[in-house]
Amino acid sequence: MSYEPPVTDYDYIVENCTCAFCGCNCDDLDFLVKDNHVVAVRHACRLGASKVMEDLDQRLMVPMVRNEEGVLTETDWDTALDTAAEYIANSIRPVFYGWSETSTECMKEGLELGEYIGAVLDNQATICHGPSLQAMQNAGYPIQTLGEVKNRADVVVYSGSNAMNSHPRHLARWAVYPRGYFRQRGRFDRTVVTMDPKFSDTAKCSDMWIGFEQNGDYGFYNAIRAVIKGKKLQSESVSGIPAEDIYELVDVMKNAEFGVLFFGLGLTHTLGKQRNIDIAIKMVQDLNAMSKWGLTPMRGHFNVNGFNIFMAFETGWAFGVDFCRGWGRYMLGETNTIDLLVRKEPDCFMVVAADPGAHFPNGANQHLADIPVIQVDIHWGPSTELADVVLPGSFISVECAGTSYRMDGVPIYMKKAIDKPETCRDDEWIIRELKERVMKLREETNVAEKYVPNPIMDLKRLEKEE
Amino acid sequence: MHYANSYLERPVVGDPHVDSDVGRLEVLNCMLNTGSDIYQGACKKRGSTLKEEYKNASGTCYMDPRDMAKLGVKNWDHVLVKTDYGEVVVSAARSRDAPHEGTVFICKGPWANTITSHETYCCSDPTYKGIHATVEKTDREVLLMADLMRWVYKKYVDEEDDDVVENMESLGERPFYNGRKWEELENHEL
Ligand code: SF4
Repeated sequence: MSYEPPVTDYDYIVENCTCAFCGCNCDDLDFLVKDNHVVAVRHACRLGASKVMEDLDQRLMVPMVRNEEGVLTETDWDTALDTAAEYIANSIRPVFYGWSETSTECMKEGLELGEYIGAVLDNQATICHGPSLQAMQNAGYPIQTLGEVKNRADVVVYSGSNAMNSHPRHLARWAVYPRGYFRQRGRFDRTVVTMDPKFSDTAKCSDMWIGFEQNGDYGFYNAIRAVIKGKKLQSESVSGIPAEDIYELVDVMKNAEFGVLFFGLGLTHTLGKQRNIDIAIKMVQDLNAMSKWGLTPMRGHFNVNGFNIFMAFETGWAFGVDFCRGWGRYMLGETNTIDLLVRKEPDCFMVVAADPGAHFPNGANQHLADIPVIQVDIHWGPSTELADVVLPGSFISVECAGTSYRMDGVPIYMKKAIDKPETCRDDEWIIRELKERVMKLREETNVAEKYVPNPIMDLKRLEKEE
Repeated sequence: MHYANSYLERPVVGDPHVDSDVGRLEVLNCMLNTGSDIYQGACKKRGSTLKEEYKNASGTCYMDPRDMAKLGVKNWDHVLVKTDYGEVVVSAARSRDAPHEGTVFICKGPWANTITSHETYCCSDPTYKGIHATVEKTDREVLLMADLMRWVYKKYVDEEDDDVVENMESLGERPFYNGRKWEELENHEL
């Protein structure tokens, strides 16, 4: 890589902006702005900087609708919104997927629309940390905030997560390098363990690398639990890890003053799925008998946790909530996007700030080719190639303010730094507008029935009047 | 206007140089993992998904140098990866995380999607990791994102026949809305 001179040609700096990329939600970024464009970003990692200094070539600027030849044609907002609303109003099994890269305020509108029309609301957790959420329902959620990690943790374990690649500042800002109140020497006061079949970039800067074999997570954690409880291992190695190494690791874990387990998609995507997380959570519970331990899932998008918290608060379930019967329902393997698509159930699919084209397996995406797809996003991506209506949103934390939840559940208000392009709209506005249009199409007014506090008294009063 | 540059034409990879076993295998049986890495993440979220850069970041099969030697492929040669769920042509490159003989890694993205498993085993999450795959050398080209989406999903083309779709003109590296570019939209009246 070549040397790059620092950017000096800018009009002003906007300080303390939030990064809208990964679950670390770094809120200490400085944007260098010139002519209403961010020309450089300070403090962000490669990922954050590249997202904020977006590719303007591919920025979606105008609403578009497919014509008969299958070419996206520009249109005005009214036509595009009406087309989209018509698709939604005429569908019987709509799925609204995404939400993780937009604000919690926008989700509120989405939930109202979903409840009204009887849709399935799901977010990216369904393809990343869904099993973790299920495991939390099974086994519990011994969580701590990242601030606690920074100030207290002396043993940090990354399991199935390559933080150096997917959350690059996680080590630098929270878990490994920073000096904390009880960890004055920073990195030197902490022991870092990485468990990953690959010698990943995170493993390269750890003190211990546990390279268990592929799909060996479940057996390996069971072995650790057995050793924690004082049992002797019967075999010489478990999941490709020699027994002595497991004893050594357990020793480190047991003697931690404050230990944290960060786990990623390496655990949720292999065959054990939620059982891997179950056992990891139980391991943390066992460790708490002799030390203090916590865990945090390494959430990928900046607001994927926000949707889960929001939905759990509003409906009782974190993701994959189905309103088609008029009330909320949640059934794993049934009301989740991938399962629905593989079974070819949905007849309308709305993508809000997500990219199924880039992240769903072929078997699920095939169905998107047969049904109308509405996309609300900021960039022309793989999903645009499958979309029938494209509604250009705005960039949360850069062009539009909003609330998001960090991976440890701390809400962060992301402020606005520059103005959005004139022809784009806020996600929240788009979804609200869609909601109102769908309600109009269904010919039901957007007001609740008249509130009658005490119907019997009311009847009596009516009788008297007569 | 001078922008800080976060573009990178292709990920930085090391030299495979292994001399033994060269070209011993026609087809390599291996385990496929998918996931994200920093190049793919940066390129995807910047929004440069139509570009050559995304093809290089996401449509690349990271292999152990010994596996590459067995197949006789060099960095950025093209390989065909097949699983029970589909097949796709990607570039081969030496993995930064080697050694992991017998395992290949493709970053998530439209290329990997073509061959990953949609089986959720009733717990919402498809099996993106640990899929049996075969890798072989090929002369076929790695498709750009738009062309790949058209070739795999055929949503807006009538042709049932793969050959017809394959021989269609490339959709290129730019958004395609009536041939208009972002710059021309500055004073757009709506
Ligand atoms: S670590 Fe995550 S939140 Fe922080 S700057 Fe990097 S991408 Fe953004």
